[in-house]
Amino acid sequence: AAAARRPWRLFGAMCLLRLPRITQPLEKEEEEMAALMGQIELEKSHYSDHEIRKLEEEERLKRRKESLYDDDDEATGKTVIMAQDLEEKWEQKFLRFKAAPRITDADKKNIRTSLNRKLDSNLMLLVKQKIGNQELWLLPQVEWQPGETLRSTAERAMATFLGDHIQAKILGNAPYGIYKYKFPRAIRTEDNVGAKVFFFKAFLQSSDFTQTEPKADYLWVTKNELGDYLKPEYLKKVNRFLLD
Amino acid sequence: SSHAFCSFSCCSSLLPQRGPLRGSHWQSSVLTLRTSLPVRAQPKKKKKVDVRREQAQKDRMKKKLKKLEKAAPELIPIEDFITPLKYSDSNRVRSLPALSPEETERRVLLLKKWCLFKQKQDEAEKKAIQSLVESQQEALKELRLESEELYQAAIRRDEGLFPFQRDGPTYTPPLPGYDPPEGKCVDITKVYTQ
Repeated sequence: AAAARRPWRLFGAMCLLRLPRITQPLEKEEEEMAALMGQIELEKSHYSDHEIRKLEEEERLKRRKESLYDDDDEATGKTVIMAQDLEEKWEQKFLRFKAAPRITDADKKNIRTSLNRKLDSNLMLLVKQKIGNQELWLLPQVEWQPGETLRSTAERAMATFLGDHIQAKILGNAPYGIYKYKFPRAIRTEDNVGAKVFFFKAFLQSSDFTQTEPKADYLWVTKNELGDYLKPEYLKKVNRFLLD
Repeated sequence: SSHAFCSFSCCSSLLPQRGPLRGSHWQSSVLTLRTSLPVRAQPKKKKKVDVRREQAQKDRMKKKLKKLEKAAPELIPIEDFITPLKYSDSNRVRSLPALSPEETERRVLLLKKWCLFKQKQDEAEKKAIQSLVESQQEALKELRLESEELYQAAIRRDEGLFPFQRDGPTYTPPLPGYDPPEGKCVDITKVYTQ
Protein backbone atom coordinates (compact mmCIF):
# COMPACT_ATOMS: atom_id res chain seq x y z
CA ALA A 1 0.00 0.00 0.00
CA ALA A 2 1.28 3.40 -0.88
CA ALA A 3 2.12 5.76 1.96
CA ALA A 4 -0.88 7.92 2.74
CA ARG A 5 -0.24 11.47 1.69
CA ARG A 6 -0.45 13.65 4.75
CA PRO A 7 -3.01 16.40 4.30
CA TRP A 8 -0.85 19.10 5.80
CA ARG A 9 0.88 21.70 3.65
CA LEU A 10 4.40 22.51 4.78
CA PHE A 11 5.86 25.99 5.07
CA GLY A 12 9.36 27.07 6.04
CA ALA A 13 9.67 30.38 7.91
CA MET A 14 12.78 32.30 8.87
CA CYS A 15 13.21 34.25 12.08
CA LEU A 16 16.01 36.65 11.20
CA LEU A 17 17.63 38.25 14.26
CA ARG A 18 19.73 41.39 14.27
CA LEU A 19 21.91 40.91 17.34
CA PRO A 20 22.47 43.80 19.79
CA ARG A 21 25.25 46.28 19.03
CA ILE A 22 25.52 47.93 22.45
CA THR A 23 25.31 46.62 26.01
CA GLN A 24 22.03 46.73 27.88
CA PRO A 25 21.78 49.32 30.66
CA LEU A 26 22.54 48.00 34.15
CA GLU A 27 19.76 47.24 36.61
CA LYS A 28 19.70 49.07 39.93
CA GLU A 29 21.18 46.11 41.86
CA GLU A 30 23.87 45.70 39.24
CA GLU A 31 24.88 49.34 39.49
CA GLU A 32 25.03 49.25 43.29
CA MET A 33 27.06 46.07 43.18
CA ALA A 34 29.47 47.52 40.62
CA ALA A 35 30.04 50.56 42.86
CA LEU A 36 30.64 48.33 45.88
CA MET A 37 33.10 46.16 44.00
CA GLY A 38 35.03 49.24 42.90
CA GLN A 39 35.18 50.51 46.46
CA ILE A 40 36.41 47.18 47.86
CA GLU A 41 39.06 47.00 45.15
CA LEU A 42 40.25 50.48 46.05
CA GLU A 43 40.44 49.60 49.77
CA LYS A 44 42.46 46.46 49.15
CA SER A 45 44.90 48.08 46.73
CA HIS A 46 48.25 49.78 47.26
CA TYR A 47 49.34 53.12 45.89
CA SER A 48 50.39 53.15 42.26
CA ASP A 49 53.45 55.00 40.91
CA HIS A 50 51.31 57.87 39.71
CA GLU A 51 49.66 58.30 43.11
CA ILE A 52 53.01 58.18 44.95
CA ARG A 53 54.28 60.87 42.61
CA LYS A 54 51.20 62.98 43.29
CA LEU A 55 51.58 62.61 47.07
CA GLU A 56 55.25 63.54 47.00
CA GLU A 57 54.59 66.62 44.89
CA GLU A 58 51.83 67.72 47.24
CA GLU A 59 54.24 67.38 50.16
CA ARG A 60 56.87 69.40 48.34
CA LEU A 61 54.39 72.16 47.48
CA LYS A 62 53.23 72.32 51.09
CA ARG A 63 56.80 72.56 52.36
CA ARG A 64 57.62 75.25 49.83
CA LYS A 65 54.64 77.31 50.88
CA GLU A 66 55.37 76.98 54.59
CA SER A 67 59.08 77.77 54.48
CA LEU A 68 59.79 80.76 52.27
CA TYR A 69 63.57 80.55 52.01
CA ASP A 70 63.61 77.01 50.64
CA ASP A 71 63.01 78.55 47.24
CA ASP A 72 66.70 79.31 46.76
CA ASP A 73 67.67 75.71 47.41
CA GLU A 74 65.24 74.37 44.82
CA ALA A 75 66.58 74.31 41.30
CA THR A 76 65.05 77.39 39.69
CA GLY A 77 64.43 77.78 36.00
CA LYS A 78 63.39 74.15 35.69
CA THR A 79 59.74 73.65 34.77
CA VAL A 80 58.47 70.47 36.37
CA ILE A 81 55.29 68.84 35.07
CA MET A 82 53.18 67.99 38.07
CA ALA A 83 51.06 64.89 38.19
CA GLN A 84 48.03 67.09 38.81
CA ASP A 85 48.64 68.93 35.52
CA LEU A 86 48.83 65.65 33.67
CA GLU A 87 45.52 64.55 35.14
CA GLU A 88 43.85 67.76 34.09
CA LYS A 89 45.24 67.44 30.60
CA TRP A 90 43.86 63.89 30.32
CA GLU A 91 40.46 65.02 31.61
CA GLN A 92 40.30 67.79 29.00
CA LYS A 93 41.17 65.36 26.22
CA PHE A 94 38.44 62.96 27.36
CA LEU A 95 35.82 65.69 27.48
CA ARG A 96 36.67 66.74 23.95
CA PHE A 97 35.79 63.27 22.60
CA LYS A 98 32.14 62.79 21.69
CA ALA A 99 31.00 59.18 21.38
CA ALA A 100 28.10 58.09 19.18
CA PRO A 101 24.78 58.28 21.04
CA ARG A 102 23.27 55.10 22.43
CA ILE A 103 19.75 56.27 21.63
CA THR A 104 19.69 56.92 17.90
CA ASP A 105 17.47 59.15 15.81
CA ALA A 106 15.46 56.19 14.64
CA ASP A 107 14.73 55.41 18.29
CA LYS A 108 13.42 58.88 18.94
CA LYS A 109 11.17 58.93 15.89
CA ASN A 110 10.22 55.25 16.32
CA ILE A 111 10.96 54.36 12.72
CA ARG A 112 10.28 50.67 12.87
CA THR A 113 11.66 49.86 9.42
CA SER A 114 15.15 51.00 10.35
CA LEU A 115 17.85 48.68 11.66
CA ASN A 116 19.44 51.44 13.73
CA ARG A 117 16.75 51.25 16.34
CA LYS A 118 17.00 49.64 19.79
CA LEU A 119 20.69 48.87 19.49
CA ASP A 120 20.74 47.03 22.81
CA SER A 121 18.20 44.31 21.97
CA ASN A 122 17.47 41.70 19.29
CA LEU A 123 15.45 42.86 16.28
CA MET A 124 13.32 40.45 14.26
CA LEU A 125 12.09 40.78 10.70
CA LEU A 126 8.32 40.79 10.12
CA VAL A 127 6.73 40.97 6.67
CA LYS A 128 3.17 41.48 5.55
CA GLN A 129 1.95 38.43 3.65
CA LYS A 130 -1.34 37.41 2.10
CA ILE A 131 -2.64 34.17 3.58
CA GLY A 132 -5.92 33.06 2.07
CA ASN A 133 -7.72 36.35 1.70
CA GLN A 134 -6.12 38.10 4.71
CA GLU A 135 -3.10 40.36 4.90
CA LEU A 136 -1.16 39.34 7.98
CA TRP A 137 2.11 40.33 9.65
CA LEU A 138 4.22 37.18 9.80
CA LEU A 139 7.78 35.94 9.91
CA PRO A 140 8.76 35.53 6.24
CA GLN A 141 7.49 32.15 5.07
CA VAL A 142 7.31 30.27 1.80
CA GLU A 143 5.72 26.95 0.87
CA TRP A 144 7.91 23.86 0.86
CA GLN A 145 8.56 22.28 -2.51
CA PRO A 146 9.37 18.57 -2.86
CA GLY A 147 13.08 18.00 -3.37
CA GLU A 148 14.44 20.53 -0.92
CA THR A 149 15.07 20.40 2.81
CA LEU A 150 13.09 22.67 5.11
CA ARG A 151 16.20 24.71 5.84
CA SER A 152 16.56 25.62 2.18
CA THR A 153 12.87 26.55 2.16
CA ALA A 154 13.58 28.99 4.96
CA GLU A 155 16.60 30.36 3.09
CA ARG A 156 14.43 30.83 0.02
CA ALA A 157 11.88 32.68 2.15
CA MET A 158 14.63 35.04 3.35
CA ALA A 159 15.87 35.58 -0.19
CA THR A 160 12.42 36.30 -1.62
CA PHE A 161 11.84 39.11 0.81
CA LEU A 162 15.31 40.55 1.25
CA GLY A 163 17.21 39.61 -1.89
CA ASP A 164 20.10 37.26 -2.55
CA HIS A 165 22.83 39.37 -1.00
CA ILE A 166 21.74 38.72 2.54
CA GLN A 167 24.40 37.19 4.76
CA ALA A 168 22.89 35.28 7.63
CA LYS A 169 24.18 32.47 9.81
CA ILE A 170 21.44 29.86 10.17
CA LEU A 171 21.68 28.05 13.47
CA GLY A 172 21.58 24.42 12.46
CA ASN A 173 19.46 22.19 10.27
CA ALA A 174 16.67 21.58 12.77
CA PRO A 175 13.56 23.73 13.10
CA TYR A 176 13.14 25.70 16.31
CA GLY A 177 9.37 25.82 16.50
CA ILE A 178 6.18 24.87 14.75
CA TYR A 179 2.83 26.55 14.22
CA LYS A 180 0.03 24.26 13.10
CA TYR A 181 -3.31 25.59 11.90
CA LYS A 182 -6.31 24.17 10.12
CA PHE A 183 -7.81 25.94 7.17
CA PRO A 184 -11.30 27.41 7.61
CA ARG A 185 -14.06 24.96 6.76
CA ALA A 186 -14.73 26.67 3.46
CA ILE A 187 -11.39 25.66 1.92
CA ARG A 188 -10.79 22.50 3.89
CA THR A 189 -10.77 19.31 1.85
CA GLU A 190 -9.71 15.72 2.45
CA ASP A 191 -6.27 16.39 1.09
CA ASN A 192 -5.80 19.88 2.42
CA VAL A 193 -6.62 20.01 6.11
CA GLY A 194 -4.24 22.71 7.16
CA ALA A 195 -0.68 23.92 7.21
CA LYS A 196 2.38 23.44 9.39
CA VAL A 197 4.83 26.31 9.57
CA PHE A 198 8.34 25.34 10.71
CA PHE A 199 10.44 28.18 12.12
CA PHE A 200 14.20 28.48 11.64
CA LYS A 201 16.49 30.94 13.39
CA ALA A 202 19.32 32.93 11.82
CA PHE A 203 21.66 35.70 12.88
CA LEU A 204 21.95 38.65 10.51
CA GLN A 205 25.58 39.30 9.62
CA SER A 206 25.54 41.92 6.89
CA SER A 207 23.76 45.18 7.57
CA ASP A 208 23.95 46.50 4.05
CA PHE A 209 20.48 46.91 2.62
CA THR A 210 21.23 49.64 0.13
CA GLN A 211 21.48 47.19 -2.73
CA THR A 212 18.12 45.48 -2.43
CA GLU A 213 14.74 46.96 -1.74
CA PRO A 214 12.54 44.62 0.25
CA LYS A 215 9.68 43.39 -1.85
CA ALA A 216 6.87 43.85 0.64
CA ASP A 217 6.04 45.81 3.78
CA TYR A 218 8.55 44.91 6.44
CA LEU A 219 9.36 45.80 10.02
CA TRP A 220 12.18 45.18 12.45
CA VAL A 221 10.73 44.69 15.93
CA THR A 222 11.89 43.57 19.33
CA LYS A 223 10.37 40.68 21.26
CA ASN A 224 8.18 42.98 23.33
CA GLU A 225 6.76 44.68 20.27
CA LEU A 226 5.83 41.42 18.55
CA GLY A 227 2.52 41.44 20.40
CA ASP A 228 1.48 44.54 18.42
CA TYR A 229 1.59 42.67 15.14
CA LEU A 230 1.22 38.93 15.53
CA LYS A 231 -1.89 36.92 16.21
CA PRO A 232 -2.04 35.53 19.79
CA GLU A 233 -1.70 31.82 18.95
CA TYR A 234 1.12 32.48 16.50
CA LEU A 235 2.81 34.78 19.01
CA LYS A 236 2.66 32.12 21.71
CA LYS A 237 4.48 29.61 19.53
CA VAL A 238 7.09 32.15 18.40
CA ASN A 239 7.81 33.39 21.91
CA ARG A 240 8.77 29.88 22.99
CA PHE A 241 11.96 29.86 20.99
CA LEU A 242 12.99 33.47 21.41
CA LEU A 243 15.55 34.18 24.14
CA ASP A 244 15.55 37.80 25.10
CA SER B 1 126.23 -41.56 -13.70
CA SER B 2 123.09 -41.14 -11.32
CA HIS B 3 125.43 -40.34 -8.50
CA ALA B 4 126.87 -37.47 -10.42
CA PHE B 5 123.32 -35.91 -11.07
CA CYS B 6 122.33 -35.86 -7.37
CA SER B 7 125.39 -34.02 -6.32
CA PHE B 8 124.75 -31.42 -8.99
CA SER B 9 121.16 -30.67 -7.78
CA CYS B 10 122.09 -30.33 -4.14
CA CYS B 11 124.96 -28.15 -5.00
CA SER B 12 122.60 -25.77 -6.83
CA SER B 13 120.26 -25.56 -3.84
CA LEU B 14 123.03 -24.65 -1.46
CA LEU B 15 124.11 -21.75 -3.61
CA PRO B 16 123.97 -18.55 -1.49
CA GLN B 17 120.99 -16.37 -2.33
CA ARG B 18 122.22 -13.06 -3.49
CA GLY B 19 119.76 -10.16 -4.08
CA PRO B 20 116.29 -9.50 -2.67
CA LEU B 21 113.47 -12.03 -2.66
CA ARG B 22 110.77 -11.90 -5.23
CA GLY B 23 107.26 -13.08 -4.43
CA SER B 24 106.76 -14.28 -7.91
CA HIS B 25 108.41 -13.73 -11.19
CA TRP B 26 105.39 -11.57 -12.30
CA GLN B 27 106.51 -8.69 -10.07
CA SER B 28 108.22 -6.19 -12.31
CA SER B 29 109.97 -4.05 -9.73
CA VAL B 30 111.63 -5.21 -6.57
CA LEU B 31 110.58 -2.05 -4.72
CA THR B 32 106.91 -2.95 -4.80
CA LEU B 33 107.51 -5.96 -2.68
CA ARG B 34 107.28 -4.53 0.84
CA THR B 35 104.00 -2.65 0.54
CA SER B 36 101.75 -5.40 -0.76
CA LEU B 37 102.73 -8.07 1.71
CA PRO B 38 100.73 -8.15 5.03
CA VAL B 39 103.11 -6.34 7.33
CA ARG B 40 102.58 -6.01 11.09
CA ALA B 41 104.52 -2.76 11.28
CA GLN B 42 104.14 0.38 13.46
CA PRO B 43 101.70 2.55 11.33
CA LYS B 44 98.92 -0.05 11.52
CA LYS B 45 99.05 -0.24 15.33
CA LYS B 46 98.60 3.56 15.58
CA LYS B 47 95.43 3.47 13.51
CA LYS B 48 93.74 0.91 15.72
CA VAL B 49 94.57 2.66 18.93
CA ASP B 50 93.40 5.95 17.48
CA VAL B 51 90.11 4.46 16.40
CA ARG B 52 89.63 2.92 19.84
CA ARG B 53 90.51 6.18 21.59
CA GLU B 54 88.16 8.19 19.42
CA GLN B 55 85.35 5.74 20.04
CA ALA B 56 85.92 5.98 23.79
CA GLN B 57 85.85 9.79 23.63
CA LYS B 58 82.64 9.80 21.65
CA ASP B 59 80.99 7.47 24.14
CA ARG B 60 82.01 9.67 27.06
CA MET B 61 80.59 12.76 25.33
CA LYS B 62 77.34 10.92 24.61
CA LYS B 63 77.04 9.84 28.23
CA LYS B 64 77.55 13.42 29.40
CA LEU B 65 74.90 14.65 26.96
CA LYS B 66 72.45 12.03 28.17
CA LYS B 67 73.02 13.04 31.77
CA LEU B 68 72.40 16.67 30.92
CA GLU B 69 69.25 15.86 29.01
CA LYS B 70 67.90 13.69 31.81
CA ALA B 71 68.11 16.58 34.26
CA ALA B 72 64.65 18.23 34.59
CA PRO B 73 64.31 21.42 32.50
CA GLU B 74 64.37 24.66 34.45
CA LEU B 75 60.87 25.95 35.08
CA ILE B 76 59.92 29.18 33.33
CA PRO B 77 58.98 31.73 36.03
CA ILE B 78 55.42 33.04 35.77
CA GLU B 79 55.81 36.81 35.80
CA ASP B 80 52.29 37.39 37.13
CA PHE B 81 52.87 35.40 40.33
CA ILE B 82 56.05 37.20 41.35
CA THR B 83 55.31 40.60 42.86
CA PRO B 84 58.23 42.94 42.27
CA LEU B 85 59.87 44.01 45.52
CA LYS B 86 59.17 47.69 45.02
CA TYR B 87 55.46 47.10 45.65
CA SER B 88 55.98 45.79 49.17
CA ASP B 89 57.28 49.10 50.49
CA SER B 90 55.48 50.39 53.53
CA ASN B 91 54.81 53.80 51.96
CA ARG B 92 52.65 52.04 49.41
CA VAL B 93 50.02 51.04 51.92
CA ARG B 94 46.85 53.06 51.48
CA SER B 95 45.61 55.00 54.48
CA LEU B 96 41.83 55.14 54.52
CA PRO B 97 39.42 55.73 57.41
CA ALA B 98 38.04 52.55 58.98
CA LEU B 99 34.59 51.30 57.93
CA SER B 100 31.69 52.37 60.11
CA PRO B 101 29.26 49.71 61.32
CA GLU B 102 26.49 51.25 59.17
CA GLU B 103 28.68 50.83 56.15
CA THR B 104 29.42 47.17 56.90
CA GLU B 105 25.69 46.60 57.51
CA ARG B 106 24.81 48.19 54.17
CA ARG B 107 27.41 46.07 52.42
CA VAL B 108 26.17 42.83 53.88
CA LEU B 109 22.57 43.62 52.94
CA LEU B 110 23.60 44.60 49.42
CA LEU B 111 25.45 41.31 48.98
CA LYS B 112 22.35 39.39 50.03
CA LYS B 113 20.18 41.34 47.59
CA TRP B 114 22.71 40.63 44.86
CA CYS B 115 22.60 36.93 45.65
CA LEU B 116 18.81 36.89 45.24
CA PHE B 117 18.96 38.95 42.04
CA LYS B 118 21.48 36.62 40.46
CA GLN B 119 19.48 33.57 41.48
CA LYS B 120 16.33 34.95 39.83
CA GLN B 121 18.30 35.86 36.71
CA ASP B 122 19.79 32.38 36.50
CA GLU B 123 16.40 30.70 36.94
CA ALA B 124 14.87 32.84 34.21
CA GLU B 125 17.69 31.93 31.84
CA LYS B 126 17.32 28.23 32.56
CA LYS B 127 13.57 28.43 32.02
CA ALA B 128 14.03 30.18 28.67
CA ILE B 129 16.51 27.56 27.50
CA GLN B 130 14.16 24.78 28.64
CA SER B 131 11.28 26.29 26.71
CA LEU B 132 13.47 26.61 23.61
CA VAL B 133 14.50 22.96 23.79
CA GLU B 134 10.87 21.84 24.28
CA SER B 135 9.75 23.88 21.30
CA GLN B 136 12.44 22.32 19.15
CA GLN B 137 11.53 18.81 20.26
CA GLU B 138 7.88 19.42 19.42
CA ALA B 139 8.80 20.75 15.99
CA LEU B 140 10.96 17.71 15.27
CA LYS B 141 8.20 15.35 16.41
CA GLU B 142 5.69 16.95 14.06
CA LEU B 143 8.23 16.87 11.25
CA ARG B 144 8.76 13.17 11.80
CA LEU B 145 5.03 12.61 11.48
CA GLU B 146 5.14 14.43 8.18
CA SER B 147 8.08 12.86 6.42
CA GLU B 148 10.95 10.70 7.59
CA GLU B 149 13.27 12.03 4.89
CA LEU B 150 12.86 15.64 5.97
CA TYR B 151 13.31 14.60 9.58
CA GLN B 152 16.60 12.89 8.80
CA ALA B 153 17.77 15.97 6.92
CA ALA B 154 16.83 18.14 9.89
CA ILE B 155 18.68 16.14 12.56
CA ARG B 156 21.87 15.98 10.54
CA ARG B 157 24.76 17.92 12.07
CA ASP B 158 25.46 21.32 10.50
CA GLU B 159 29.18 21.34 9.74
CA GLY B 160 29.39 24.99 8.82
CA LEU B 161 28.02 26.23 12.14
CA PHE B 162 31.13 25.84 14.31
CA PRO B 163 33.60 27.48 14.83
CA PHE B 164 31.19 30.37 15.34
CA GLN B 165 32.67 33.83 15.77
CA ARG B 166 30.97 37.09 16.61
CA ASP B 167 32.08 40.48 17.94
CA GLY B 168 30.39 41.29 21.22
CA PRO B 169 28.41 44.48 21.98
CA THR B 170 30.26 47.65 23.04
CA TYR B 171 29.08 50.46 25.30
CA THR B 172 28.48 52.96 22.47
CA PRO B 173 27.82 52.19 18.80
CA PRO B 174 30.70 52.75 16.35
CA LEU B 175 31.18 56.39 15.37
CA PRO B 176 30.91 56.75 11.58
CA GLY B 177 34.03 58.32 10.10
CA TYR B 178 36.09 58.07 13.28
CA ASP B 179 39.85 58.23 12.70
CA PRO B 180 41.69 56.53 15.57
CA PRO B 181 45.00 58.24 16.56
CA GLU B 182 48.22 56.71 15.23
CA GLY B 183 50.44 54.92 17.70
CA LYS B 184 53.22 52.37 18.00
CA CYS B 185 53.16 49.38 20.30
CA VAL B 186 56.52 48.04 21.55
CA ASP B 187 56.33 44.54 22.99
CA ILE B 188 58.70 44.18 25.97
CA THR B 189 57.61 40.75 27.23
CA LYS B 190 60.56 38.58 28.27
CA VAL B 191 60.87 35.34 26.34
CA TYR B 192 62.33 32.33 28.14
CA THR B 193 63.80 29.27 26.44
CA GLN B 194 64.06 25.95 28.21
